[in-house]
Amino acid sequence: MRFNSLMLVKPFGLAALFVILFAGMAFAQTDVIPDTENCLLCHRYPSMGRFDQNGIKRIFYINEKKFASSVHGKLRCKSCHVGLDEIPHTDIKKVDCSTNCHIKEPSTDKEFSHVNMVEKYQASVHGTGKTAIPKPFPEDLPTCKDCHSNPMYTPLEGIWGKSEALSNETLSRCIGCHTEKQWAQKFYSHFTQRMRRRRSPAEIITLCTRCHEDREKMARHGLETVDTFKDTFHWTQVKFGVENAPDCISCHAPVGYTTHDIRPRTDAISPINPKNRINTCSNQGGLQICHPAATAEFASGRVHAYGVKAQMMAGNNIFDTENQDMSLVRKRAESDVSAQDTFYYTILEYIRLFYKLLIGGTIGFMCLHQFLAHRSGRRKHAKTG
Amino acid sequence: MSNKNLKPKFSAQNNTAAETGKRYFIRLNLSERLQHFILFACFIVLAITGFMVMIPESVAQALGGASEAVFFYRGLLHRIAGIILISVGIFHFMYLLFTRAGRRWLVDMLPRPRDLKDMIFNMLYYIGFKKEPPEFDRFSYKQKFEYGALIAGSTIMSATGLLLWTEYRWSKFILDIAKLVHGMEAILACLAIMIWHLVEVYLLPHQSPISKTWITGLIDEDEMKEEFAGHYKKIMADPGLRQIYIHGENEADRAADTPQPVKISDLSRIH
Repeated sequence: MRFNSLMLVKPFGLAALFVILFAGMAFAQTDVIPDTENCLLCHRYPSMGRFDQNGIKRIFYINEKKFASSVHGKLRCKSCHVGLDEIPHTDIKKVDCSTNCHIKEPSTDKEFSHVNMVEKYQASVHGTGKTAIPKPFPEDLPTCKDCHSNPMYTPLEGIWGKSEALSNETLSRCIGCHTEKQWAQKFYSHFTQRMRRRRSPAEIITLCTRCHEDREKMARHGLETVDTFKDTFHWTQVKFGVENAPDCISCHAPVGYTTHDIRPRTDAISPINPKNRINTCSNQGGLQICHPAATAEFASGRVHAYGVKAQMMAGNNIFDTENQDMSLVRKRAESDVSAQDTFYYTILEYIRLFYKLLIGGTIGFMCLHQFLAHRSGRRKHAKTG
Repeated sequence: MSNKNLKPKFSAQNNTAAETGKRYFIRLNLSERLQHFILFACFIVLAITGFMVMIPESVAQALGGASEAVFFYRGLLHRIAGIILISVGIFHFMYLLFTRAGRRWLVDMLPRPRDLKDMIFNMLYYIGFKKEPPEFDRFSYKQKFEYGALIAGSTIMSATGLLLWTEYRWSKFILDIAKLVHGMEAILACLAIMIWHLVEVYLLPHQSPISKTWITGLIDEDEMKEEFAGHYKKIMADPGLRQIYIHGENEADRAADTPQPVKISDLSRIH
């Protein structure tokens, strides 16, 4: 079975869990957890768990083998789960990924931490922001664990042994010097894991649309849902599983950007800012050079099809709001949707209407005509025959 | 009664007029039949590979590992068929202008006020308000309507298709229009072909099981009298038209009817 981290992310509460129950065989299976605190004394039992105050089932079981094969398999539990000195644990703190985790980062020889990523992320469109005014509905903002579980080093099914880089021969060259076999395997797994994308374009779409297709959640922030992406040819390629098909991050975090630093269109350094669009569309230096000859005219347009905001501005309120408060969306639409966009949207709607009438009228007439012809033909032949 | 008995068997058309004593009329010459054949082959390929982009995600995923290859060949075939269709269109345009048969086709195909009258009278005939149908000339209003739609549709599809193919040159608005029109026109064209053309040549009782004209280019005298009575009368009254439209006129009619001298120009005519 192919490992899919999204399986983990979905049920709320399971994110606290450090174990992947659904994965297949890990590539670099190392069996020993550095469990100096002896957490596994209790947590090794599969029945370990309880229902929390919200009635959600929480499982606290750790599968030792699977955890050892995960990217955090070298860490002690308390490296991330700070506190937990009392039993039963009443001093639980939420895991903070910017904590220093007492593993030395080899390039600097300092304690490793994800703090630089966290800082970058907090400054991005998805982060809580650095300004004094907090963002509204901070609980809606995705946290690290919404996208990241504790993935296992995924098996190299299908590609293991087929290239020089991914082969036992290369691994054995590492082990020649780095005699600690478990360490070498883990290091090698880390590199080979990072050399390919973990999520397919379709999985990226699923991940982002978990929030971005939630109409209520988006409306709270004055955003429209992104389902109009599925009206584009970009989506058609994703649908057919085309390698390097344009998904969300292809444009919102292309080469030179990171997914942690996604910025709104209005931000000057955003890849979707009109000034940076030609680079984004052409994606020079990327694995997939998408529109190498993109002109400024081509790159200036709207990529997702027109959605709720354009409909609002064109006074076309056919969308179903389901008694939602759309006032914030309407307010944002006034600044987001230009007069030109409204005009374009209106023209497209008229063309659509024209074709609907043309198809309905023409085909309706044809059906009537042919029905009459058929009936008349049968009648005539019945008489003559 | 069975529809199969309504019409002479196909095999009869393979015999010469002299053998059966029946006249056959030329509807489509060899060039026209080839143009039609290439056109409809391209149309089918274009329709299938075009509508494939609309398939639901679940179906695309069901293709598994093959889906990427399917997508690649879909696009390739669509473009190849598109180029061939455009070429046939250009060839047809040349054919209309630079060949005698083409110019006759063009003149006969031009819409006339009479076509509107024919349509109304014909529909009145269908519902029983008129005893006799109108006497159609070489092309009835149905065929002119369809031909006009084909010309307009192919032009629109070719233009929007070429825009989408060279997407990086155009603004997104132009591409949005092209995409919308290409899709809508495709739906219209496919429905029109199914309801108008296929029903006409395939499903209507007198055509059952299928008209063979697209292969042989011929129709028999009975059908000619029934379907294109106006044209039939014109042909029979004009020796020049007889030479053009009656199959095997030179051999068959020399024996049965008044002998016709063979002209040099007849040898070069295409059919």
